[in-house]
Amino acid sequence: MKRFLWPILTALPLLAQQAVPPASWKALKFPPLREIRIPKIDEVTLSNGMKVYLLENHELPVIRGLALIRTGNLFDPADKVGLAGLTGEVIRSGGTAHKSGDQIDEELENIAASVESQIGESFGTVSFNTLKERGDEVLATFHDVLVSPAFREEKIELAKTGMRGGIERRNDDAHGISQREFTNIVYGRDTPYGWETQLATIDRIKRQDIVDFYKRYYFPANIILAVQGDFAAPEMKTKLESIFGTWKYQQPPVPPFPKVRNTPKPGIYVATKTDVTQTYFAMGQLGGELSDKNYPALEVMADILGGGFKSRLFLKVRTQLGYAYEVGADWAANYDHPGLFSISGSTKSPSTADTLKAIEEEVKRIRSAPVTEQELTTAKDTVMNSFVFNFDTTSKTLNRLLTYRYFGYPDDFIFEYQKGVAAVTRDDVLRVAKEYIDPAKFVIVATGNPKEFGTPLSSLGLPVSEIDLTIPHPKPEKTAASAETVARGRAMLAKAREAVGGDKLGAVTDLTQQATVQLDQSVGGLKVSQTEQWIAPNQFRQENVMPFGMIATYGDGKTGWSATPQGVAPAPEAQLQQIAFENFRIWFSLLRSDMDPERTVNDAEGKLEISDRNGHLVTLRLDPKTGLPASETYATPGDPNGPVEEVFSNWEETGGIRLPRIVAINRGGKHFADVTISSIGINTGITPEQISKPPAMPSPTKKP
Amino acid sequence: MKPAYFLIAAALLVFAPAPSSAQNLKEFEKHVTEFTLPNGLHFIVLERHEAPVVSFHTYVNAGSVDDPKGKTGVAHMFEHMAFKGTEKIGSTDPVAEQKALAEVERIYDQFDAERNKLSKADPAKLKALQARLDAAIEKADSYAEENLYPRIIEQNGGVGMNAETSEDSTKYFYNFPANRVELWFYLESARFLHPVPRQFYKERSVVREERRMRTESDPQGKLFEQMLAAAMEAHPYRNPPVGWASDIENLRVKDANAFFATYYVPGNMTMSIVGDVDPNRMRALATEYFGRLAARPLPAPVRTVEPEQEGPRRVQVVSPAQPIELLAYHRPDQNDKDDPVFDVISGLLAGGRTSILYRDMVRDKQIALASGADATVPGGKYPGLFLFYLVPAPGHTVSENEKELDTVLAQFLKSRIDEPSLARVKTKTRASLINQLDSNAGLAQLLAFYYVNYGDWRKLFTSIDDIEKVTADDVQRVAKQYFTPENRTVAFTYQPEPENSSEKTGAAK
Repeated sequence: MKRFLWPILTALPLLAQQAVPPASWKALKFPPLREIRIPKIDEVTLSNGMKVYLLENHELPVIRGLALIRTGNLFDPADKVGLAGLTGEVIRSGGTAHKSGDQIDEELENIAASVESQIGESFGTVSFNTLKERGDEVLATFHDVLVSPAFREEKIELAKTGMRGGIERRNDDAHGISQREFTNIVYGRDTPYGWETQLATIDRIKRQDIVDFYKRYYFPANIILAVQGDFAAPEMKTKLESIFGTWKYQQPPVPPFPKVRNTPKPGIYVATKTDVTQTYFAMGQLGGELSDKNYPALEVMADILGGGFKSRLFLKVRTQLGYAYEVGADWAANYDHPGLFSISGSTKSPSTADTLKAIEEEVKRIRSAPVTEQELTTAKDTVMNSFVFNFDTTSKTLNRLLTYRYFGYPDDFIFEYQKGVAAVTRDDVLRVAKEYIDPAKFVIVATGNPKEFGTPLSSLGLPVSEIDLTIPHPKPEKTAASAETVARGRAMLAKAREAVGGDKLGAVTDLTQQATVQLDQSVGGLKVSQTEQWIAPNQFRQENVMPFGMIATYGDGKTGWSATPQGVAPAPEAQLQQIAFENFRIWFSLLRSDMDPERTVNDAEGKLEISDRNGHLVTLRLDPKTGLPASETYATPGDPNGPVEEVFSNWEETGGIRLPRIVAINRGGKHFADVTISSIGINTGITPEQISKPPAMPSPTKKP
Repeated sequence: MKPAYFLIAAALLVFAPAPSSAQNLKEFEKHVTEFTLPNGLHFIVLERHEAPVVSFHTYVNAGSVDDPKGKTGVAHMFEHMAFKGTEKIGSTDPVAEQKALAEVERIYDQFDAERNKLSKADPAKLKALQARLDAAIEKADSYAEENLYPRIIEQNGGVGMNAETSEDSTKYFYNFPANRVELWFYLESARFLHPVPRQFYKERSVVREERRMRTESDPQGKLFEQMLAAAMEAHPYRNPPVGWASDIENLRVKDANAFFATYYVPGNMTMSIVGDVDPNRMRALATEYFGRLAARPLPAPVRTVEPEQEGPRRVQVVSPAQPIELLAYHRPDQNDKDDPVFDVISGLLAGGRTSILYRDMVRDKQIALASGADATVPGGKYPGLFLFYLVPAPGHTVSENEKELDTVLAQFLKSRIDEPSLARVKTKTRASLINQLDSNAGLAQLLAFYYVNYGDWRKLFTSIDDIEKVTADDVQRVAKQYFTPENRTVAFTYQPEPENSSEKTGAAK
């Protein structure tokens, strides 16, 4: 009988009491949270010293792994900043001894798996992600990438192109500028924590540098491998030992990371960006580490000051004043070096000074009086009540262990932190605010349009200076010169001059040349009809007839013009610089460089390097049999495509001077064009009026 | 003389088979409970007892596409208001506050009435009314207990709290420890039962700042907004969710209230709950708390139909930033039978390192730093756009990139895609679904999305089957039909001419 009644009896409570919502949320009672199950992580060290952490998780049929390597861009050489980042990328993209990067891309994508590699500031990772059923294949690829990367040259170039692109674009986003400049000023622009990758540093990185960097840091004893997912730990242990155990490579222990050493100059630094209606600001000073005994109190203080909806900054600057959509403060401690205490956000340009003032007032306020009991309780409750979210996925547990072990923190650090927060008092918050943050020490970076600031930033009573955002473009770099190398260089030059025409070169006063330029398919495949004229020493003119019209330019060392189907305009600076370079390297000038005191002629490892004080530099490779230049290499000013190489052949004589009739042009290592010179005229009597007169352009046709 | 390579170059530059979804679905179904309250509010509950946490997701089937004319940004504005509290939460004196808020509106009405006189408006009167309005706003704001509503959530352990207004929808979400579930019911039902639009005009300034941040001071955001407005002539997909600047600046409380009354009706809302919960208790709490919402008629959808585009369109935006380019083609809505084909095309052309555009433009020709595509822009509820984006590499131009894309697309239209490439895209889609199944918050969002847009949360799984069925012929047919010059809008940024030589921006011509 009871069995029949049972379902009715259990249903009755639902029907009998129609629950009614309480008047206030405060009346709600919450049962204690059930205990979080923290999964146990299996630890083993392989026979070669590599540490392995394993975590089983059978909810989904996937396996994920992460190899953590003790390295980082903190180890970049100062003249090759970007080396670590480049290495990290090409470990994966450059393929392995057994497979090309493209092959690996295809194989992995075919099975929807991934293997990725990168190197950041203070660690490198190689990771993998696969469906369980493909685990063995992907583990094999993962091993291959970690242990036998091939660093193929074309992938290095591709990665460099990407990095160069990133540099060219780094000033496009005002928000990013503030964060970056703030970090670099506080840590110091000439230190590993504050320097930037530049175009020049990328240019200096050679393949051997990358190989050496990889070899120094990627060895078993320097790696922790963490694997989680749908597998059995004992089986995985055996598998990893058999796959990695044979990797016996050793290196000396890696040195400690450099220390932070910098005392920045406090004040306001302005980065001008005219295409924004807001100012992005980042302000603060050097912070601390997680191991600091005051870390919990500092987190609570930063939270009350600027950690979300309930914070003083949010309430004042966003809610009350309506100045900002984003504003917040962050203590941002680091594990092994001082982090950055920062207050950042954005506001419309005319409110810039007022916003910075309002923030300064809030910082002063939290340093001068204790926070309220309610503020303290709210901050502590937030940490305590959300604590469970540190453990809601097994991944978090594994990543935490990896991080703590890597930086030498105790396994239970997070619980120590929890206890620390629970113990923080109002006096603690006041004490740490006074001790650790001081507006007088703040570096304030503002990125925006000063013309629209309204109230000038100098009204804050702090020194104001301008940040130069210009992206430096590298000048070609000369090889070191000694008396011996210069003497050898001058001898090589004399020989080359003799082979080309000797004294007759000095008697050339003008040149006219007609050529056909056939561009490579990869750059469009166009055929161009080209005419060049030159009057010594520096009047140069070029006309190019293309399928869509004629383009011409002229320059005389000071001014010039540029003519297109749209009309004639003064030649832009970039073009004048290129014309100046052409004047520098025209044969009649180049091969008499030993007579020019402004120029240096040098033997650079067997090649003839000629340079001047204006940043012009070319390198000639001479044919040992004939003494004639076989090829010429140079970097065109302002051209990011990589060095240009011209290869000469079919030398023929005109008026006693030998000049090549066929030139193959390569750019950045790839074929760019072939030039066939059909006629050369020397000393034909071109006048300055003729050379400098813009061509008559056909009237522009209407474009559809 | 040596040919001056530089000038030619410069002149040219004037660019497992895996387990079938049915298997996963059956497993999943065991843990899903669905129910609809009498007022039309729909709930989807998924049990995951791994950790004592719960994710909540409220999906309102209305977004910026529903903003009335002249009031773009109101859907988003209401979303901000939904954090300002209720009658009971957020005020030190609700009765006095109500009176003060009504007074603000009364004065603002007078202000607007004077403004409406245009050139005949009396400037002195306007100035006086503005001063009175500011004072009335000060007074009303003084009764606000600042940000109490979100503070309660944070203080009780809520994490990941946010909301989002897109063209098609408005979503509110956060995660709670499992013992705070009833608090979510209390707070979420209260905010849609009696929201109070306190500090509206202050918040309007905040939203105006948000527009500055996302669009006016962001070259990509700006370009995207310009592209949409050109590609879509008539349909409200052309309007930015944050709203046009002047529309934002003129929004009134009554506009937000009207939007709420029309669109936030129970039958137009879906809530998903994923985590350590008992579905029976969820049903009981839903009835207790959300049963109080009165049923109201469903709102009308947008009736405007975007006319067919009959010729190519171009938009140019001057920007000192490095150039970027967007190319958009019109496409049908998400319920069209060819919807999965567009997803496959996106994967083939722009999905990852093996994609056609990556290999051609980034890897081989090195004229682009990045290339990508998005098959459903800006939303799928109504006919929209298939979008390509290109980021030229240093020394290469937007026009070079565009020409190359044309060449690649011409080839794509001409030849059938090979089976291995097709298989690869399908495998990746399957795997990406599996990888999404271990996040409570992600699942909560997906379940609601598929229910609202396709009528059944199971579509999360069966959409894989739809992708599986796409053939090489389908790909070619759809590409030929939609990737035509007349159907395309191109938008790109370009750098202004330097005024003098010292303003070099660092990019070759």
